[in-house]
Amino acid sequence: MHNLASIIQSILKELFGSSPSLDLLYTFLGYLVPCLTVVTVIGMIGGILTLMERKVAGAIQNRLGPNRVGPYGSLQWIADAIKLHLKEDIIPALADKNLFRLAPYIVFVGTVLTGLVIPFGGSFIVVDLNVGLIFLIVAVSLVVIGLLMSGWASNNKWALLGGIRSAAQIVSYEIPSALALLTVILITGSFSMQKIVAEQGLFPWQWFIFYNPFTFIAFFIFGIASLAELNRVPFDFPEAESELVSGYNVEYSSMRFGFFFAAEFGNIFVTASIATAVFLGGGNIGLDPYESGIGYQLLMVLVFFAKAIPLCFVSLWVRWTLPRLRIDQMMSMCWKYLIPISFVCLTCTALWMLVFNGNGIFWRMSG
Amino acid sequence: MNPAIQYFKNIWDAIYTVSFGMIITLKYWVKEPPITIEYPDRLKKGPLILSGNSLEEIVSDRFRGYLTVDFSTCIGCLQCMITCPIDIIAIETEKRDDVRFITRFDINQSKCMYCGLCVEVCPTDAIVHSKRFEGACYDIKELCIRHVETAVPVAKRPSKGEAESA
Repeated sequence: MHNLASIIQSILKELFGSSPSLDLLYTFLGYLVPCLTVVTVIGMIGGILTLMERKVAGAIQNRLGPNRVGPYGSLQWIADAIKLHLKEDIIPALADKNLFRLAPYIVFVGTVLTGLVIPFGGSFIVVDLNVGLIFLIVAVSLVVIGLLMSGWASNNKWALLGGIRSAAQIVSYEIPSALALLTVILITGSFSMQKIVAEQGLFPWQWFIFYNPFTFIAFFIFGIASLAELNRVPFDFPEAESELVSGYNVEYSSMRFGFFFAAEFGNIFVTASIATAVFLGGGNIGLDPYESGIGYQLLMVLVFFAKAIPLCFVSLWVRWTLPRLRIDQMMSMCWKYLIPISFVCLTCTALWMLVFNGNGIFWRMSG
Repeated sequence: MNPAIQYFKNIWDAIYTVSFGMIITLKYWVKEPPITIEYPDRLKKGPLILSGNSLEEIVSDRFRGYLTVDFSTCIGCLQCMITCPIDIIAIETEKRDDVRFITRFDINQSKCMYCGLCVEVCPTDAIVHSKRFEGACYDIKELCIRHVETAVPVAKRPSKGEAESA
């Protein structure tokens, strides 16, 4: 019983009995239901984040933001999605049509795949892979294929430039982000997301961000690198409005554009949840995630979201503060600063483990 | 500067400037209220709506709205009619028993270009721009506003000393 799928399978077995053919169906259902739930949750949160983005932008600029649809504009994101569905789906005549159709789904799948291994607290994880964190890093970088594909298939100079930029950017920033996450792997000795969460605790001094000074730095490196991987301001070169109109998605309309949009905002939540699970203790409230009752498990989910959602807001906050960097600044920031610092963090954490017998700064306090 | 020192100074500059900027935006985010006036949703329409602004509050002090005439000071000198470049003001006066009466004072507000020449030229400040601007109507003739229904006597011409002191 190490993930939601096996729990659902055992419940189904108790209800309807067991036979080889039924077991196959149970396995299918056991994975289908959590997968659909994760897709829905990420899609919904992505949608709500589009609304919050506009609200936060309004608040920071002393405006109101959307306030027409629903109370205080709270249904605006649904109206936006309906509008996108009703738009005409245009494929340029000279585009590579198959690639053009495929690209948005690859980008979206890259986002949703990461949702499979995110521990939402308690037993709410689709599948607790023993290579969970590596899977996350790989799945996040799947996005770059989709962006490059869309840029090439659009047969448009701006789109192609946007795709190339996104490839250069995401591949570069993959390295510091992965290295920052690996500092935690040195502490846990496991890639399993549930294990990483279980090693931490309810209180801040039990979290890996305060384990030693280097994990503290690694958390911020991961934050900056994930902003770049998300193609968000101040690293939004692939869609730089002033230079490339809209970058890789300039030729897209209708729901194909909607998929890019949902993936972008879903990714904000995904990276926030990775940071939460790896550095901020996830949904750990000091109880066993599988054995405790359903009430405690829901409390864990609540704790998880209480940590992840503010991190999403930080991403929006950064966007409305900083201007876009120059492209050479972006590259030098990655290769000259983030990668060396994250290597220093990795080696120093390894040395720390050796010198202090694997104890953190607050190891006396956390017992 | 030593490149090694420069390297760490760059890192410090990045941290300092970014956090400085983010504190500023946080202040605007949390403290500053929006300055948007939600016209026409949040207008004061009666005693029941406590919050919100009245029409007079949402326009600036020197706003040029519809022209209004104060007949307690209008001396019927016709200067506004004469000075109007597009002839939208029509005034007729009539003498009854040694008293001049204004029998017609029409302003065609649909043509008015809000140049304000009539306001400047008026010797007694009788014709002024009001703050009213909501003029949408179904018939353009409604915008030709009659200010005089029944004939009104003109005001007493102020003496020279009064006019200068005013």
